[in-house]
Amino acid sequence: MHSGPVELKPRPDQGQALVQPDQGFFDSLNGELTDKGFLVTSTEDLFQWARTGSLWWMTFGLACCAVEMIHVNMPRYDLERFGAAPRASPRQSDVMIVAGTLCNKMAPALRKVYDQMSEPKYVISMGSCANGGGYYHYSYSVVRGCDRVVPVDIYVPGCPPTAEALLYGIMQLQRKIRRSGSIER
Amino acid sequence: MSEPATTTVDPYLDKMLSHTSAADPATGDVTIENYTINFGPQHPAAHGVLRLVMELDGELIERIDPHVGLLHRGTEKLIEAKTYIQALPYFDRLDYCSPMCMEHSWVLAVEKLLDLEVPIRAQYLRVFCAELTRIMNHLLNLGSHVMDVGAMTPNLWLFELREDTFNFYERISGARMHANYFRPGGVHQDVPLKLLTDIADWLDTRVPRLFEDAISLVADNRIFKQRNVDIATVSRDDAIAWGFSGPMIRAAGIPWDIRKSQPYDVYDRMDFDVPVGTRGDCYDRFMVRVEEVRQSVRIMKQCLRDMPEGPIASLDRKVVPPKRAEMKQSMEALIHHFKLYTEGFHVPEGEVYVATESPKGEFGVYLVADGTNKPYRCKIRPTAFSHLQAMDFMSRGHMLADTTAILGAMDIVFGECDR
Amino acid sequence: MRAPAPAWAADLNDETMELARATLGDALDDVFARVGEVQLWVKRDQVAEALRLLRDTPGLEYQQLMEIAGVDYPERPERFEVVYCLLSLTRNHRVHVHLTTDDEQPVPSVTDLWPVAGWLEREVFDLFGVVFVGNRDLRRILTDYGFSGHPLRKDFPMTGYVEMRYSEEDKRVVYQPVSLQQDFRNFDFMSPWEGGAYVLPGDEKGGALPQAKGAYTPATADQVQKAGATATPTAAPAGDSGSYAKGTNPPGGPDSGNRPSDPDVIPSKGQGQNQ
Repeated sequence: MHSGPVELKPRPDQGQALVQPDQGFFDSLNGELTDKGFLVTSTEDLFQWARTGSLWWMTFGLACCAVEMIHVNMPRYDLERFGAAPRASPRQSDVMIVAGTLCNKMAPALRKVYDQMSEPKYVISMGSCANGGGYYHYSYSVVRGCDRVVPVDIYVPGCPPTAEALLYGIMQLQRKIRRSGSIER
Repeated sequence: MSEPATTTVDPYLDKMLSHTSAADPATGDVTIENYTINFGPQHPAAHGVLRLVMELDGELIERIDPHVGLLHRGTEKLIEAKTYIQALPYFDRLDYCSPMCMEHSWVLAVEKLLDLEVPIRAQYLRVFCAELTRIMNHLLNLGSHVMDVGAMTPNLWLFELREDTFNFYERISGARMHANYFRPGGVHQDVPLKLLTDIADWLDTRVPRLFEDAISLVADNRIFKQRNVDIATVSRDDAIAWGFSGPMIRAAGIPWDIRKSQPYDVYDRMDFDVPVGTRGDCYDRFMVRVEEVRQSVRIMKQCLRDMPEGPIASLDRKVVPPKRAEMKQSMEALIHHFKLYTEGFHVPEGEVYVATESPKGEFGVYLVADGTNKPYRCKIRPTAFSHLQAMDFMSRGHMLADTTAILGAMDIVFGECDR
Repeated sequence: MRAPAPAWAADLNDETMELARATLGDALDDVFARVGEVQLWVKRDQVAEALRLLRDTPGLEYQQLMEIAGVDYPERPERFEVVYCLLSLTRNHRVHVHLTTDDEQPVPSVTDLWPVAGWLEREVFDLFGVVFVGNRDLRRILTDYGFSGHPLRKDFPMTGYVEMRYSEEDKRVVYQPVSLQQDFRNFDFMSPWEGGAYVLPGDEKGGALPQAKGAYTPATADQVQKAGATATPTAAPAGDSGSYAKGTNPPGGPDSGNRPSDPDVIPSKGQGQNQ
């Protein structure tokens, strides 16, 4: 999938997975930039571009899925080429990946971290435990889905989802931001 | 606590400790009160969901109260409601850095109660997979340990190797992490020959190159040693009293390895060495794990050399379900298949405590069966419980920044600690 | 024992039981070996002393306390059983020490013998409600702050009584009564055709042993194991392990017919996926 950083006009075929780079578009942009020294675009497009291009995520590893979440950052899958870099501080992050079983004892901390994140913020629920309790659904100490505690944007199924699945989930989140993003979310 | 470990091994720390004492108020005009900080439960160096309430004297740790249970999922209660086969995947999810080693204790406990014989090829396959898992676990732990004390590159290289182990897991069992591969009576399916040769190539080429390269960056590194040598030394007596096991007790100088002293499966046929530390500090724990990876490679190679042909699971159809092809031709096989995947098998009444050498230490299962198809009680003995409890006395008198080194060298995983 | 379980020095069981009887004296209620593992049943109020003797007596030397497990038997007069799993590093031997208690009778703590017992006792207290007297830090450990009840008791429902949810009104997570979309489905597989704890006429010789491993049996694991040890080795599916060893069988040897051709496993011919 091509996701170049310069994407200032809404494309007619937006929503399709595979988009060929439009050479004429880039040439006109380039000419405008060299001629005038600036570009004109709508703020909405600019914000969308900025949001999708630097989805810094909060490392919220809870259980098994955290291992796959680490793997997606490591050289083989290298999530950072999509601009998604792990941040340890909620204040600096845009998206929280809830990776693993959310237990009752941990839920207040999860909510607190979510509240500390700055707007706009997104949540990816990773793995069946975070999606709905999964294998631990009937346990006395497990929150049956992290969407009971925080609003979730993307659900990634699997136990655990493979690193590719999480990567795909993050790309889906980028797509969602692009499609529905506005200044106030 | 038998004795408070207030004296540190670092003379600089001792000097600092004496300076802050009330007897010598000349050094500063401000008296620093003890204060308490909260570490976690969300902290990148906490290796999961650990909360530490630390009482500090300036930068020195006075007391640590670890709060665990933040990942308490009620596994033991859920197991009581599942059949023996359905309970098996919970073990993968206990210590998710070394899934198959967790399954090992469970299947051995069930087999011990059933008094079930296991074909020799299945035993070889289990040992083989357990050692692959040990490598997998240590790659994660060694990498994150060096990252906790400041080095980044080895972690990236070790994870590249770890990705290979995930691929092998996928080719062995179909899942990258939670294999659900060991079964009471053997293993779930046979491994293709091509996979074994691929793993042999990997052991011969990639593991020595990548692993030794990564370790050579840190093993003799001055900064790494300054962060680890003489940090959190544990004496032999302390290691025994605090119930240490695995690399933690070996680093303290006690050559205790369940694979060696209480061999299960075909470990008694394997030729391997048990690395032992001399000082019992974080550096020793690190190096013991490094050497264990090399020994695991040795064991895996022996498995590949000696593994015989034969069935991969007991042919007792009351325990091990038949293969699908057989099931489609034989009425009896169909009935067995149906019964085993709904009702499961019955385990006769009795209590056993079976412990195996997981990569982190002694992982035990105290299993009480009551003759039905579900366990009456399954108590899991986590390795991390005793190690983490010792965190308090191990880190007393150390600097705050040493906490991450101590924690990294302990190899804690909360899925197993909290269950 | 046929199972490939960890082979510790189980041949020391008899002498261990002898020595334990002599050493512990009347602190010991009963001692026997089951499924190859020695169980020592001690009196509750003397457990600390008994464990100290087990640790310090030469010839017993159980240096390590590996585990304290609680088990709940609601039908017994003293419903809880507390099991201490001990390991001797020098003798390479394990025992369990059992005692019974209920939710009121306190058990002496062994934190003075093994500091590791602190958390282990906290866990048994948390999950079962067994009180350990002498443990100076008997807080809950695994369950949530402010949890009520003891979840591993048999009368505690698996799904508990409360569940957690974020309340938009209160701006915090709150507990509320549990409501499941779908109940946990628990099937009863008891068949009228099996499970009778009686011996059929003419079947006295077979006793209550199972017809096959894994089939229902009223016999205990210990009886099964003893019967297995005395029985002549039958034509077990594994074959005799000697002929398997080291893979020395020539192709087409006596064992090759034994191996079921497995249609599920197709050795791949192409390149490995990993390279």
